[in-house]
Amino acid sequence: MGRILIVDDTMFMRTLLKNILFSGGHDIVGEAADGAEAVIRYQELRPDLVTMDVVMPKVNGIEALKAIKAADPAAKVIMCTAVGQEQMVKLAVKSGARGYIVKPFQAPKVLEEVQNVLSA
Amino acid sequence: MKSVPVKVEHGGKWVPTTMGIGEDRIRIAAPLDCEITYKSVVDLEEKKNQVVITAGTDNGQVCRIASVEKVLSVLKKFIITQASAYRLNAFFMSPAIRGGVLIQDARWEKGAIAVMKTGIWFVSQETQVCIPLADVADIELTSREIQEKNLDVVKIDHLIENEVVTSFVLCPMTTLQVLYNFLKEATHDTDVSEEIDPLTGQVAMLVYSGMDSSAIENMLKLSHKDLDAIYERLLGTGLAEILYIRKEVQLTAKGVRYISNAMKSSSN
Repeated sequence: MGRILIVDDTMFMRTLLKNILFSGGHDIVGEAADGAEAVIRYQELRPDLVTMDVVMPKVNGIEALKAIKAADPAAKVIMCTAVGQEQMVKLAVKSGARGYIVKPFQAPKVLEEVQNVLSA
Repeated sequence: MKSVPVKVEHGGKWVPTTMGIGEDRIRIAAPLDCEITYKSVVDLEEKKNQVVITAGTDNGQVCRIASVEKVLSVLKKFIITQASAYRLNAFFMSPAIRGGVLIQDARWEKGAIAVMKTGIWFVSQETQVCIPLADVADIELTSREIQEKNLDVVKIDHLIENEVVTSFVLCPMTTLQVLYNFLKEATHDTDVSEEIDPLTGQVAMLVYSGMDSSAIENMLKLSHKDLDAIYERLLGTGLAEILYIRKEVQLTAKGVRYISNAMKSSSN
């Protein structure tokens, strides 16, 4: 089970992911509401995994992913975005994302993906 | 004609028999004792280890055949490629997204699509995928980057054992438009025309994600009664169906006495 940082600009999505991940036995070590805060929280908390929304104010998820990977190349980040933005996948994968979740999502599949990335 | 052992449904029972599979027809021995040409087939449904074949147009002949996957796979391929159906050559990717998780090794397969009475079939050298029309949740004509180009595709969201799966179809635009229009028409029963308030929408989203009632009550700070009222709206608009009814109970005098006695005996 992993220590996870959840990054999303909507409280609703953060709470939903928190519930899903907690039910899967994971420890939610922190939350961030934008990319800039995510980079700071990552440095402080050094989580095992980050779930990162792509579209966020200030610094977007792709930029935050790049900053986190620059500071810690071993960082495990799963990107999370809405339907219709799957084109971001290539960019995210190129920037070092380990997985990709499309909203809306279903709890069992999210837990499976998180487990895959954590154990990789 | 190669003959293989199968079971067929006859008089409400599964009966072992043999089926000959030819290039253009099947012949089923007694008790059905019938011959079905592939081109007379108007519908093909798939269930676990069995297929249901409907042949002919008026009150067509329906045949339920159970067999091993290898036999059914050969049979399905013959039927899908020759049946009386709207058929087109296309590339497809199924599944591309499962439960919201992008399948990273999903790839485009070259094959054919056959649109039958109750479902759409994707067939390639290696794959046979059936999407029953009743399980189609959404259809969208959209574009997707394929080999550095933005190409038009039809995106189909459908359910497989309560999991939401997304598949894509790629073919020339004119054919794509025909396929999209057909699917839109065939699935118009699931169009959402009702106004859904934001809170009901949030509850629907949480149900979609697999949250149970108590998790939803906690997340949205709703009382049991409030959530029940929202569930009623979801049921009324056809967006949800009842899975099961949970009983809420309180102890009777007899129950209270049992607990009191149990506590006494455990403290002695």
